[in-house]
Amino acid sequence: MASIADIAAAADLLPITSVAIEGESDLLRVRSTTRAYARQAGLGVTGTTKVVTAASELARNILRHATGGKGVATVREAASGQRRGVQAVFTDNGPGIADLDAAMRSGFSTAGSLGLGLPGSRRLVDEFAIDSAPGSGTRVAICQWDR
Amino acid sequence: MRMGRDLLVTLQGDLDDVRVESVERLVASEVARTGAHGALIDVSGVDVVDSFVAQVLARLVRMVRLLGAEAAIVGIRPAVAITLVGLGSSMPGVSTALNAEQGMARLRRMRADGSVRIDHGKHC
Amino acid sequence: MAVDPVAVVEDLAYYTQMVNTITDYAVIHLDRKGVIRSWHAGAEHLTGYSAEEIIGRTAAVFYTVPDAAEGLAEADLRAAAKAGRYVTEGWRLRKDGAPYWASVVLTALRDQPGSAGFGMVVRDLTMAREQALTLRSLEQLFNSIADFEVIRFDCDGLVRSWNTGAQKLTGYLAEEVIGRHMSMFYTEDDARSGLLDREMAGAVRNGSVEAEGWRVRKDGTRFWANIVLSPIRDDQGEVAGYVKVARDLTERRDQSRLVMQQRDEILELSTPVIQVWEKVLVLPLIGTLDSGRAARLTESLLERIAADQAEVVILDISGVPGIDSGVAQHLLETVEAARLMGADSILSGVRPDTAQSMVHLGIDLGDLHSRASLKDALQLALRLVEARARSGDGVRA
Repeated sequence: MASIADIAAAADLLPITSVAIEGESDLLRVRSTTRAYARQAGLGVTGTTKVVTAASELARNILRHATGGKGVATVREAASGQRRGVQAVFTDNGPGIADLDAAMRSGFSTAGSLGLGLPGSRRLVDEFAIDSAPGSGTRVAICQWDR
Repeated sequence: MRMGRDLLVTLQGDLDDVRVESVERLVASEVARTGAHGALIDVSGVDVVDSFVAQVLARLVRMVRLLGAEAAIVGIRPAVAITLVGLGSSMPGVSTALNAEQGMARLRRMRADGSVRIDHGKHC
Repeated sequence: MAVDPVAVVEDLAYYTQMVNTITDYAVIHLDRKGVIRSWHAGAEHLTGYSAEEIIGRTAAVFYTVPDAAEGLAEADLRAAAKAGRYVTEGWRLRKDGAPYWASVVLTALRDQPGSAGFGMVVRDLTMAREQALTLRSLEQLFNSIADFEVIRFDCDGLVRSWNTGAQKLTGYLAEEVIGRHMSMFYTEDDARSGLLDREMAGAVRNGSVEAEGWRVRKDGTRFWANIVLSPIRDDQGEVAGYVKVARDLTERRDQSRLVMQQRDEILELSTPVIQVWEKVLVLPLIGTLDSGRAARLTESLLERIAADQAEVVILDISGVPGIDSGVAQHLLETVEAARLMGADSILSGVRPDTAQSMVHLGIDLGDLHSRASLKDALQLALRLVEARARSGDGVRA
């Protein structure tokens, strides 16, 4: 699995939008921002729907599990050679995930894997990276290309 | 919206916790009030169905069944279908149909396959 | 010549037993007047008539009303009587009136004790005809593509179709190449070493083969080609020919993403979603199924379900070389996505060795319908569509 650094390095410097995640209405902003960047990068309907849904899942995780339900989503366009895409990083200062392996274990239902729906989100996007430890919060980076 | 003996519930846009609760209340009271035998939940206007929304839909279906009616989700778009399967939230056990027309046929099929239902004599 | 009566009787019993085990086509004995004298499971399977219902009736009962009125049945028998053997194709009707495209071979039986008359062998080619029509329209599409060579050649390596891109690439006109052997495009060394045969074998084994190498133009100059070869299978799963997509890499001018996308799209076109009946779609899967390809195929299938309001989808895997748990996973995901759009799925083209390896690998398809042949899958699909239509309209308590 790629590291956050790898994913960040793949994205050339391009316009960026940060969305504070503090309440339900912010989920709407995360979705519409991700959708806008995806459209701009020329992603098709399916690729867009998948990355917007993954963003929604990850943002909702922050609302539900992070300390005080607070965090940030940073969305930007990504480019790599001829490919264009959308990249989003979700950061929070919550409790962090003690057993990352368990959280990422790919069962096929969102009921398992500690209820964080991380394997599901991962299946929807081209690139996925997570950094988390107890006491250090969580960072999840995703990237979807136009193929 | 009534369609003969069936109820059509159209969801659009985004569903947050508050809206979800009011939709559930509305559907429950409408099914009880009209004695509808079936309910179709139309999501063709919903672009993004994440695991939370999928849970809400499954709950709506369960709720309608508890009230003695059949229920089906209609109008799931191709991109949404693919996403739900990828997420692992494909709502097994929930009946689905392509659109309202096929949905009504589906409801009739489910009733014909016979769940036992107590008839309160309100219909012909 | 004296014939041993015991041997004849034994042969007859053996022959009868053999015919009775044939289920994919009908082998029927007609007397001199065209009256049906023998019947078997395969004939019932194909036409819907039971032995009691059909023996004693004439073969004209299979023909469509206009054809029967024109005396086509009698004309076909006369042609067989005259030539000894007569092959024809045309629409026929099953017992329930459903039409099918039949391939018929009539043989005049002479001088056989107790069996004068005609032998009639009938095959249902409805699927093959659909595929042929689709192939023709695809070829028209391919012909308009100028950036790629997209051609078809048969199992003997003879060129069967040509397109604008192939002409641009090699300099040959269609009439100069059709019917000629593919080795004409290879260098002498490659032709001699049997490179084409190896590529064809690789395509059959792996579902498709991608290769690069020197090829030769009409004017004798060489170019560095990137080629992809895929086998075309008929609905029995047998290889009926090959599709080749090629482009010129000599100047490395075609590295752009757009062109790669086009190439993938063309390969997708060689496994189109076919609407074979109202509300029934067939997706013939050809070649290996990696997650990228599976995702694209699923997308096209779902779009078609929406566009055609399809209720049943048949996934034909006879062209997929090996079903491992990865492929099974892709199939199950496609089936589940189709279910979310209200469509039932049927797996078809499951060969005995496929079924065996799936069981050994512990692949569980749940309650997914599965059939060995596309024809069986289509029959089930039509039953499912009919069941929906029936209960949907009837008012039942």
